[in-house]
Amino acid sequence: MTMTETALPQREATLPQRMGELALPGALVGALAGCFAAILAVLGGQTPSWAAITTVTLAVPLAILGAGYSLLLATGLFRPGVFAPAGLYWFIGFPLARLVHELGAHSILAGQLGMPKDPLAFLAFQALVSLGFAIGFLWLHERVMPRWLLRVYEHNSRAWNVLAHYLQLAEQIQEQRDRKQTRSRRGKERSLRERVAERQGGHG
Amino acid sequence: MDADNPPAAREPDPELTTAEGTEDERVWSAGRLDPMPIRKLPESPPSIHLLGPTVFLVALGVGMGETYMWPRLVLVFGPEIRWLFLIGVTLQAFVMLEMARYAMATGESIFTGAARVAKPLMWFFFGTALIVYIWPGHLSAGAGALEQITGIPWMVTAIAGLLLVGLIFTLAKVIYNLLESVLSFLIGLLVVGSSIIAAMVGQFSDVTSTLTGMVQFGYLPDAATSAAWFPIIVGSIAFAGPSGMQQMWYTLHLREKGAGMGAHIPKLRGLAHAGDEEAMPARGFMFDTDDPDEMRKWKGWRRWVTFDALLLFWGITMLVTVTFTVLAQSAARQNPNVRILIENGEREAAMNAMADSFSAAGGPLLGGIFLGFIALIGLNATLGLYDSFSRGQADMAYNFIKGVNKFRMAHIYATFLWGVIIFGILVLLFGPADGPSAILDTLAFLSAFAMGAYCVVLLLVNNIMLPKPIRPNLASNLIIGFGATFYLGMLFFSLFTYGVIPD
Repeated sequence: MTMTETALPQREATLPQRMGELALPGALVGALAGCFAAILAVLGGQTPSWAAITTVTLAVPLAILGAGYSLLLATGLFRPGVFAPAGLYWFIGFPLARLVHELGAHSILAGQLGMPKDPLAFLAFQALVSLGFAIGFLWLHERVMPRWLLRVYEHNSRAWNVLAHYLQLAEQIQEQRDRKQTRSRRGKERSLRERVAERQGGHG
Repeated sequence: MDADNPPAAREPDPELTTAEGTEDERVWSAGRLDPMPIRKLPESPPSIHLLGPTVFLVALGVGMGETYMWPRLVLVFGPEIRWLFLIGVTLQAFVMLEMARYAMATGESIFTGAARVAKPLMWFFFGTALIVYIWPGHLSAGAGALEQITGIPWMVTAIAGLLLVGLIFTLAKVIYNLLESVLSFLIGLLVVGSSIIAAMVGQFSDVTSTLTGMVQFGYLPDAATSAAWFPIIVGSIAFAGPSGMQQMWYTLHLREKGAGMGAHIPKLRGLAHAGDEEAMPARGFMFDTDDPDEMRKWKGWRRWVTFDALLLFWGITMLVTVTFTVLAQSAARQNPNVRILIENGEREAAMNAMADSFSAAGGPLLGGIFLGFIALIGLNATLGLYDSFSRGQADMAYNFIKGVNKFRMAHIYATFLWGVIIFGILVLLFGPADGPSAILDTLAFLSAFAMGAYCVVLLLVNNIMLPKPIRPNLASNLIIGFGATFYLGMLFFSLFTYGVIPD
């Protein structure tokens, strides 16, 4: 598919649906990241309720922040695949998500709200780790987002705009592929002509 | 040989000529192999995009060095020892950039580049790969970790894994696309997951000590230069990031991705789709380095691969090893016995001790997470290693064994793939998974020697076989020269001084 062949959106979905669709990839990746610990908690022999608490308190804030990232991408504030804004976004967002996780898990398991012993050192440590998280998040997001946009762009004009950025890259790849196929076809035609000529020569 | 491009006059020295007997077709003659026809260099993709064949290098490279060897050294000698890791990984990032230079400029693998210099060089790598990489020992750590989590005997998982790898690569339409998708997802999970785990179990002081340890240049305690530890330290530096021949295989993945002149080379297909495969040319292509527009595109490709090398390869390797070092420091803090086990014990005992320590500190969750990561890394390595081995051997066999190019590349690839899988299963069932003990030292020697050898090959290939405008600069040559001296020097120093081969 190329940009010229792709029709512009015909019928627009409602605003909440459009926003929800745009937010979904980031939310999915964020939730997956949070659930990763929960899946292994079950494998590691923890009770389902413990795993559920981890999921709710970590996956939910990460999913919300992930959705926020996708929406910022859709508004054009972030560009697809660019690391710096994603790194900055998670540098602030990831420590906050971890703080919610710590507070939430502690309050549910211990029955009272408890801050980390040294909140500043805690947040600074989470901010350091966030850069690694941002790489992984962006890596997975880049794989999910374009595929998802292809499914929804027909009734979502904002999705179409974001998709256009990805399609520019896809067009470059398509051009390379077309050139290669043309060359291959010429090669096959030439090889066929040579075989025909050989046979005619043999019979002649 | 491509029907479009009949052979041109062979020249021993590289030069840009017009081939005899052709319609003024310009070629680049390098070495004693067929000259490379001049073709257009495609436009590079934006360098900022997180897409690239580095995913293979990360999948292959993030292994025991990052998850076990370096955390172990940190526990024994302190975080200050990590400056050596910084040097090891940075050196590998430069090797990666230089491997990419040849592959993107020609669409050829570094093996063909070596053959352009002298065919015995290429045969050395063919033989080394054959005897070093057919042993399925690398599977045991991952499958063993999975056994700890699920209770399924490791041999069952290992054999099932081997058969699954064979089936996946046989049924795939275009092997590269499938593998890139699967590995990307697994590595994405690994990076995201390891960040979350580090965030949950680590402390600020763990990260700061790990990071500041990386700039303690020159720190080397007396014990580190002992016969017991020196070979281990040298081995750990050499195996920081991709080790053995993994960097050489990266050139094949670059070509498959269509990076640079690799865009002119057909893609390798799975056995089930071999009929769709286009004819594989016997040599690569070159672009016109006198054309400013082509040079502009070349600079774009260099930016693209530099981004891959710095952020993806260097960054992710560093991130995973920092994470595991933080985990090991947490484990040692919570259970001092783990330090003794790690110092004295063998790999599996030490890994189990680390997992037990995590379990004791944070419940079975953390122990399970640790083992889950080891299993994930084992799966990544198996997928990447079997594909790369078969791809590399098929490339060399197709181009340099007489008569083999009558077959399709997909068939040759499948022969090597299923050959190594069947051999692996037989060895798992009846033999020593790491190889017979009598030749273990030889395997370790060859694996380390190949790294020094490929640095020498890189210097020769990039400085002799490429046109002047795209040859490496002095700084790059000095760094790769340092790599050759370092890998070979340390190997022989360790061998002659201590009588032990780094492993």
